[in-house]
Amino acid sequence: MATDGFAGRIIKVDLTTRKVEVIDTDPYKEWGGGRGIGTALFWEMCEDKTVSGLDPKNVVTITPGRFNGTPVASGARTEVQAIGPQVYPTEMFTSSNFGGRWGGMLKLAGYDSIAISGKADSPVWIDIQDDQIQIRDASEVGDAIWGLDTYDTQNRVWDLLGANEDWRAGDRRDSGRTTQRSAILTIGPAGENLCYDACLVHDGGAGAGQSGFGAVWGSKNLKAISVIGTGSIEIADPAALWDTRAWLRKEYMFDVQNVTPAGPAVTTDTMAGRPGTGQCVVGVGRPEACMGCHRSCHGKRVVGGIGNGSQCGDSWYLPYEKMLTKAKSETLEVSGRAAELVQRLGINAYSTACFTRYLNELNKLGLVGKGNVVDTDLFEVGPLGSYAWAEALCERLAYRKEVGELLALGPARMGEKLGRYEEDTKSGILLIQSHGYMHHYDGRTEAEYGLSSMLGARDLNDHTFNYVTFWLPTLFYLYKMESPIPAGKLAEIIGSKVLPYKDPMMVDYSDEGMYSESMVKLVSWHRHYSQFYKASLGLCDKAFASFIAVQREDLAGPTPEVEPRLMKSVMGEEVTFEQGMERGERIDNFERAILILQGRDRDQEVYSQYMYEVPESLVGDQRYPSVLPVFENGEWSYKNVTGRTVDRDKLEQWKSLYYEFKGWDPKTGWPTRATLEKLDLGFVADALESAKKIGGTA
Amino acid sequence: MADNDKNDAEGTPKSMDRRQFITGVGGAGAGLILGGFLVKGFFLPDEVFAIPASEGYLLVDTKKCGGCTSCMLACSMTHYGRSSLSLSRIQVLNNPLAEYPNDMSQAQCRQCPYPACVDACPTGANHADPETGVRMVDEAKCIGCERCVNACPFTPSRMQWNHEEKHAQKCDLCASTPFWNEEGGAAGVQACVEICPMKAIEFSAEIPVQADKGYQVNLRAHDGWATLGFPVDDAGIAAPDKPAAAGGH
Repeated sequence: MATDGFAGRIIKVDLTTRKVEVIDTDPYKEWGGGRGIGTALFWEMCEDKTVSGLDPKNVVTITPGRFNGTPVASGARTEVQAIGPQVYPTEMFTSSNFGGRWGGMLKLAGYDSIAISGKADSPVWIDIQDDQIQIRDASEVGDAIWGLDTYDTQNRVWDLLGANEDWRAGDRRDSGRTTQRSAILTIGPAGENLCYDACLVHDGGAGAGQSGFGAVWGSKNLKAISVIGTGSIEIADPAALWDTRAWLRKEYMFDVQNVTPAGPAVTTDTMAGRPGTGQCVVGVGRPEACMGCHRSCHGKRVVGGIGNGSQCGDSWYLPYEKMLTKAKSETLEVSGRAAELVQRLGINAYSTACFTRYLNELNKLGLVGKGNVVDTDLFEVGPLGSYAWAEALCERLAYRKEVGELLALGPARMGEKLGRYEEDTKSGILLIQSHGYMHHYDGRTEAEYGLSSMLGARDLNDHTFNYVTFWLPTLFYLYKMESPIPAGKLAEIIGSKVLPYKDPMMVDYSDEGMYSESMVKLVSWHRHYSQFYKASLGLCDKAFASFIAVQREDLAGPTPEVEPRLMKSVMGEEVTFEQGMERGERIDNFERAILILQGRDRDQEVYSQYMYEVPESLVGDQRYPSVLPVFENGEWSYKNVTGRTVDRDKLEQWKSLYYEFKGWDPKTGWPTRATLEKLDLGFVADALESAKKIGGTA
Repeated sequence: MADNDKNDAEGTPKSMDRRQFITGVGGAGAGLILGGFLVKGFFLPDEVFAIPASEGYLLVDTKKCGGCTSCMLACSMTHYGRSSLSLSRIQVLNNPLAEYPNDMSQAQCRQCPYPACVDACPTGANHADPETGVRMVDEAKCIGCERCVNACPFTPSRMQWNHEEKHAQKCDLCASTPFWNEEGGAAGVQACVEICPMKAIEFSAEIPVQADKGYQVNLRAHDGWATLGFPVDDAGIAAPDKPAAAGGH
């Protein structure tokens, strides 16, 4: 048994031949886990990296972060990687991650990743019970889960596996028993019908939402992967891991018996964020947590378990319900049920929000109706904001009925199909910031979020800085309350923690700051931290990085002390924080090389037109002012910077600075051989050189 | 998903043989008895009264648990140095898709007054600690017959077969936790209690009164839980009417 936090084995499944191979994790350990290992597996296994996401040659990997299955607090994220059909205009290698129990279960079953290639000739699902791995018939004549929604699929599989409230797994005296339901990752009808925004769902509300991996599974005739693990994961220093968690609990986490009324900081306080606060839908009876997590940010519902585990963007319909009823808060009957709809059908909630907004805007322009530009009677089913409208939208999308044929292409390709993409991304009614993903946080104001997304291949959906530099000051601004931490102090604390740069100016979001060399460092730091500590080790975005702790006298969170302590206790490695950042930089370059082989260059790293031409405004569905720290006239303050546009020339100059900082060719954005070799990525340099895509001298 | 007894505890001890009685009172019957009228002076043959009461019990509020299984991972880690769900002596049973509050239950050893597991053990491996009364397993004496596993009156059995080390195991209130710097046991602290972020598990030196469905423990009746917007009533059915918090994500 490995003593480094790894389970020790990796599963490779070729669905075309229905062959299962189990290999050693050893050659992949250098990548850390999670995204690092997934990237390495994809690199090797996907021979033609330029195929469509729905091509059988696409390879999808599901890789738990290294800390999965251990009592590391907030360490239960699992990475899914493949060529994602949601990426626009070119489908590219991308990722999505999810929490819950699945990653931990896979580790406890003895595996660090599962990589799936090929395409089954009929619907299948994969049943993993420790050493037993079966490819099973998902069709009507087999286990009959193809065609079911995600909840019914999971209930059916649990029935098939004999889930009850007793010890089970057959007569397995020597191989382990369990009381646990299997952890199931599955697609719904949207994935089966190859909707470009279909997602993967696990339990009630854990899901890999973005990038269209539900359609990738659907294209492979893969319905679900169920895992039961009765094994164990050796912890390098169990007592040290306990002491680290005890230290976090004492110094940084909430005390559930003594919480004070929820103030504006509650959701932005990463490590101390309170149970249930990640959810937006009413009627929660208990908080719900991912495996081993203290944070418990999801919730279980009182009435019918509606949308159990749904949170945040799953409340995609909330603005429209409120708009229709003028109510101050959402209801289970409408927003709650709408959240469950997307979970059951397996649709990316954030894309559904994008569709809804776009259809609403087109309807206002008189372009929606029977025989119209968007040929549908959707708005005759019920008013926007009613459950009937939401149900009609989601059902039509997931089953490709009526307007669903158009919606199944995803918002970006839908705009293209209508011949309106250029016009509508110029005006901003089709709110796609970059790479086909719905505008999330705004690169016109929150520069680092937009830039990091633009430099990758998806909406970042990573709140490393967003919670503390955007939400914290913005919420206090909205509540008309003084921030518990002055802007200068915020910059000082963050500046002291962003090793190795240690530059407080990195969080200067002023007009000048957003194009500065310090912003180069901020974006680099963000990408490197996330690539390793979050995506590869499995630390959750809800709790890491933890810069600020407003409940403490010193206002400072446990980053960068906590990460090395966790690595040492679980993995047994003396890794400094900076060394972890170097590992993140290595993965970042590896991943970028794949994008480059798929056609990525400098010219593709741009925003949609509205970002340059339309000032950020509060007009829209879920818009907030953007209040951020700025350093102007020699002092720090929080400033409402709403109303900005991106200066194209300055952005292009900034990109050159960024590429040079990273050791990439500023003309192309391609890494140089020297850079790749410095990162021990000589084999990547060879591949780029063969493709004539190696960067020139930086 | 309430705690289930394998045996109905109804009926009088007189109508049972010794084995049946021990099994019966090991579960709900024991609580009813202790909560009522039979703590002392009841006659049984074969030195049943030689088993001292445990000096500690784990109470779990089934409606407060967030299902994180940190208690399970911690139990395994502190006892064996390995993180595992199957090696945990406390089990959290969760149906992620079911409706609260019947979506989840927790299976912890009840440290039964008349422990069927101890009685069933042919070697004395399963015994009550002479100092604290805590029912525990001397692994060196365990021959792997699993009679204790089958004798436990609860479902799932609180006695387990450790398939990795090949011996029976049960909750010892953390008396033997070599991979932990804390002092465990009935006089110390317990890993599951300490790590639970919801404080849904509590240590008690007194055995609680319990009904047929198990302990009825409400650890939610405090301001913190109400502030978070979760039900604080005993039945856990008072639906909160507002989100637990405002803000963005």
